[in-house]
Amino acid sequence: MSGAIIDLSREAAPKAITAEICVIGSGSGGATAARLLAEAGRDVVVLEEGRDLVGPERTQRDRRMYDQLYMDRGGRASHDLSVSVLQGRVLGGGGVVNTCDVVPIPEGVLRHWAGKYGLEDFAPERFKPFTEDALRDLSASRIPESLVNLANNKLRQGAEALGLRGEVMLHNRVGCRGLGTCLIGCPIHAKRNPRMVAIPKSLEAGARIFTRARAVKIRKAGQELKEIEVRTLDADGYHEQHELTVRAKIVVVAANAIASAQLLLRSGIGNSQVGQNLTLQPQLPIIGIFDERIAAFDGIPQSYAVTEFEEDDNSEFGLWGFRIEGIMGTPGIVSSLLPFSGSPGMKGMAQYDHMAPSLLLAPDAPSGQVEVARDGRLTIRYEQRDDHRARLRRAVETAAKVYLEAGAREVLVPTAPPLLIRSAREAQQARQLTFAPATAPMISAHQQGSVRFAATARDGGADLNGQVYGTRDVYVFDSSGFPTSASSHTMTPIIASSRMLTTKLLTRI
Amino acid sequence: MADTLNGSAKRDGLFSFLSRRRFLKVSLVASGAILGVGGGGLLALRGGAPKVEGLRVLDPHEYRTLQSLVEVMLPRTNAIPIDAGSMDLPRAFDTFLADQPEHDVADLQKAIVLIEFGPLVFDKKLTTFSRLNAAERTEHWNAWAVSESLLRRQVSIAMRKFFNLVYFDHEQVWPHIGYPGPSMKRQGWSKP
Repeated sequence: MSGAIIDLSREAAPKAITAEICVIGSGSGGATAARLLAEAGRDVVVLEEGRDLVGPERTQRDRRMYDQLYMDRGGRASHDLSVSVLQGRVLGGGGVVNTCDVVPIPEGVLRHWAGKYGLEDFAPERFKPFTEDALRDLSASRIPESLVNLANNKLRQGAEALGLRGEVMLHNRVGCRGLGTCLIGCPIHAKRNPRMVAIPKSLEAGARIFTRARAVKIRKAGQELKEIEVRTLDADGYHEQHELTVRAKIVVVAANAIASAQLLLRSGIGNSQVGQNLTLQPQLPIIGIFDERIAAFDGIPQSYAVTEFEEDDNSEFGLWGFRIEGIMGTPGIVSSLLPFSGSPGMKGMAQYDHMAPSLLLAPDAPSGQVEVARDGRLTIRYEQRDDHRARLRRAVETAAKVYLEAGAREVLVPTAPPLLIRSAREAQQARQLTFAPATAPMISAHQQGSVRFAATARDGGADLNGQVYGTRDVYVFDSSGFPTSASSHTMTPIIASSRMLTTKLLTRI
Repeated sequence: MADTLNGSAKRDGLFSFLSRRRFLKVSLVASGAILGVGGGGLLALRGGAPKVEGLRVLDPHEYRTLQSLVEVMLPRTNAIPIDAGSMDLPRAFDTFLADQPEHDVADLQKAIVLIEFGPLVFDKKLTTFSRLNAAERTEHWNAWAVSESLLRRQVSIAMRKFFNLVYFDHEQVWPHIGYPGPSMKRQGWSKP
């Protein structure tokens, strides 16, 4: 039996849909679960708020793509606007808009979770087969040297000159032509992401996938038959249109650490831990500016990482320290991250093709919250901690030295006011950065931990099977369950953990 | 505006940073300054604005404020000799707002009012943003990004994110920043 993708903005929505299992979210967690459940012969329905945007519709244009591929039209942010929260809203989820970084959960983190949080299924040896399956799903391979562009090579050159450890990263591309717009979708579908692997497999196995379908509430979460209140959206996803009900015995929520917690909170289900322990893993951009033309917009934007300062065995948080990774974006997104207006801003952007930017990734403590007010308004509450600021200062100083060593004319730290560094000595100015709220263009691409997996309801929002405490067969199978930062990039961890949790679920139903 | 049923589409976005409480606080400060002028005086201070056809959300005063803002945010320079005025970016903002949730629209409109009366509220000058000359407006607006006030920094970020994104998505800007345009076209890929 073959399934189908049904776009509810274009087709008449039924009043009600019945299935054995309803999966909410079609990203790494949801698509993986849907695939395994459907392949096991289960009757599966998937709900996705985004639509299936493929091929030539991926125009490589900033404005339209951020509008259509990201939650809140690319405008989602933490409560005080300090952190831009990037979350995919498209069939296939975050894997459609990420930079294809394949970074499994490090062994130290797995040991940390098993030891400190009692997550025995994540113990390295037990979890290993699921990671291996995830790597196969992704066709993971090392990025070929021919696809490491000049910007990433500048980062490598500087790091090697300073004797810093680094690596060309693993990725999930096949047939990549270096088109450069990974962050706003690959028009030739070179990414072996959930959209290109798990979704087609789900369809082959008979899953029904509804797009432009917003899950609003889960009702009767303690009963055998749950009801999911769904609103259909218009073609662009701006306006709600019709209402329908999905009835299912099992509900798998995998809508990302923000949206999954938001749905549970809006539904009034789960315990007081739901929405707590959020990590945003905020990243800070920094830009090396060279005399020579870099053209970082061509080729794979993120292929080299300086890993010297990353730790995976911090006794309190597991993943810690920081890493530096090359990156690039299209002109609109780069300009929106620069701190200056007027003539200085125009002068800055005139150097666009001479820029070699990086992201400074520093894992954070699980200290944020997802909140939903009575009027339904979502708040992502997040305060940057001192330890995060301290590591970012060190990361800025290091990255500046790396770029200067590679021959950069200057290094721009895009804070307000901006910091321009022209010598190793000036790099010490990074130690004075305050990172006061809304003064630095922090970006979160890896939200985790809002419905923490825990052995007891006192310690988390979901049990070791991913079942939300206080419910009957309502599960979270995404990064919401991670007790601390899983990895510097979450696609592979989510696929692996969804595989593990779905496999366990199949043994019980 | 976005039609929401039971508020389910409400969310915390880039443009929903002005919580009611915070705005109230600022409004109190603002109203102190405004009271000194009086309601009628305030309107007189703002002056009239030419009618603009086809706006969906913004009124002509708000449109004019954004025009004045774009002039200083994205000026014609030697580096990028493009007139942002030809792109009608305030109308792009209006189009954007028309499909945003109502609370975001309300917040943004408050932000525009705050920008317009910024010289009065923050600099104690008896004038409005649109009435400042270009040099004064530039100086005033640049102070928002590095202000002690979190609210002003937030407004600065929100405006920069929107207008920069739209402006630099325009093909006529690309030759001046060394961007040759989407790689698909350059590589001759008409279809995947």
